[in-house]
Amino acid sequence: MGIVDLNGLEVRLGNRIVLDGLTGSLQGQAIGLLGPNGAGKSTLINTLLGFHPPSRGTARVFGLDSQRDRARVRGAIGYMPENDSFIGNLSGVRFVRFMAELAGLPAAEALERAHEALFYVGLGEVRYRKVNTYSLGMKQLVKLAQALAHGPRLLILDEPTNGLDPMARQRMIQLIKEIRKEGSVRLLISSHLLRDIDETCDEVLILKNGRIAALCNIEEERRSNRSFMELETVGATEKFSVGIRGLGCECACFPGGRIELVIPDHIEARDLYVIASEQGVQIRRMNRRRDSLEDIFLRAMENEMGRTAHVGV
Amino acid sequence: MSVYKHIYRAYSGKVTPVWTRVLVLARYGFAEAWSSKITIGLFTLCLLPPIVSLIGIYLANNPLARALMGGQGPQTVTIDARFFLVALQVQSWFALALASWIAPRLITFDLADNALPILLSHPISRFGYVLGKFLALFASLSVVTWAPCLLLFAYQGYSSPLPWAAANLRIAAGLLAGALIWIAFLSMLGLALSSWVKWRVVATGAIFAAVFVPAGVGAIVTGVLRTKWGFLLNIPFMMSTLWQRLLGAPESARARFSLPTEAIAAMLILACCLCVAMLHARIRAREVVRG
Repeated sequence: MGIVDLNGLEVRLGNRIVLDGLTGSLQGQAIGLLGPNGAGKSTLINTLLGFHPPSRGTARVFGLDSQRDRARVRGAIGYMPENDSFIGNLSGVRFVRFMAELAGLPAAEALERAHEALFYVGLGEVRYRKVNTYSLGMKQLVKLAQALAHGPRLLILDEPTNGLDPMARQRMIQLIKEIRKEGSVRLLISSHLLRDIDETCDEVLILKNGRIAALCNIEEERRSNRSFMELETVGATEKFSVGIRGLGCECACFPGGRIELVIPDHIEARDLYVIASEQGVQIRRMNRRRDSLEDIFLRAMENEMGRTAHVGV
Repeated sequence: MSVYKHIYRAYSGKVTPVWTRVLVLARYGFAEAWSSKITIGLFTLCLLPPIVSLIGIYLANNPLARALMGGQGPQTVTIDARFFLVALQVQSWFALALASWIAPRLITFDLADNALPILLSHPISRFGYVLGKFLALFASLSVVTWAPCLLLFAYQGYSSPLPWAAANLRIAAGLLAGALIWIAFLSMLGLALSSWVKWRVVATGAIFAAVFVPAGVGAIVTGVLRTKWGFLLNIPFMMSTLWQRLLGAPESARARFSLPTEAIAAMLILACCLCVAMLHARIRAREVVRG
């Protein structure tokens, strides 16, 4: 059982199919939700929270049906919405306490946890100020505090770094990393910023046009993909390239002794040096590059239909 | 999490039953309603008529006070169904003023701050949310309607040298039923209208308008078509008729304008259904753009 299990999930809003037969199991500690605008990221989150009923299929969170067991699912989730969403007339601590009590904490515990959560996110000094007097960054943090206060099993963060300045963004990313490291909370982070997902997540779900374009473990995906290497050489470059093709590498030669290689897993850099030595070629520079999340994302966008075969379900 | 260590700590304590979350909403709603000085001012104002009535009951039942007033008989102030009807009517219209101030505070703030996604992402349904707000408003209005009216009834029962209370239990039941019907209707109306207006002042005006504008339309219908059924749009008239019947007081309307109780009940139920539909359409975590 995954954290989130999707089984042919289809969601219609009006006559429009927004999520189209999503099937997959999200199992990572921190799951990134990526996709262009209108891909269905927010609709998926809303469906997990029970706001939108599926027209077909099911969505399960910790094995609980997102519609049938809505209250239990919501009790296990801490949700930080993308847009401003708070009760501005309440002080920070009262707002977080209110949310914690709604999540099921008794009043005294809710108050204690509200103070702790606000200190944890760095709003301890302003916790008695009304929320509508907070800056944008503080509002993001108070939303995070209310999502954390009741100790959820799954934390859903919708665009957590939206509108933050670089310092505040770094602080938010650091907090997310700390929460992930603590281990008791799973994270589902929706973002447009690949860098945010790259820094915080170990699994990524990429949506396009309401379909799954990719669902993979970021590290495994990087490992499973071919490694690229760039070489700058001096000497008999053509002869050297024939030699390395003999090892099973794909390569292309460019003027100035530049060679680009795609090397299989079993080939080490040492093997290249051996051939270079045999052929009297000097390797002046060697640059190894693995797939970035951007590569994974762009490939998923290009091959949306074909990628579904790669889905790890 | 810890205030001192600044680390995240999972929660492993006990969790309250799901049904009590409605009471959390009601408690916070009640606190929000009464955090305003205007609410306190209105409440103070609402207590003045019961104090006057209290003095009236005292004078009516105290021989010494009557003697000091010139030896007039208890007829000076007659404590009967009509007396309590006036008390209920006065309190009910004060309740309208209070509801028009409180209801927008309960809902409009949440809508203006887009708080519904965050509120409804917790284990509380849309029905639970509305019920919590309803309870907060209902409790606030109870403080100025049936509670002081029943206290007046109890004081009259205590002051009267005769076994008055037992003989007039219908008045107490009528007071309670009449006030409950009115404040339930007012709460529904206040919440429904507030959910459609993001500006609090406009919502307050809309609540008054919803009570009095149809009354004007009803009067035109009655006048033009020469039919009593136009009064079905006249909420003050309908409620006065209902209260008179519930308390057993003589009816003030002429017989040909008298509305059947069933028609009044059906109209109130219809209005409540309309309010429910309005709330159903507006109280959502997410707006869904159809297309």
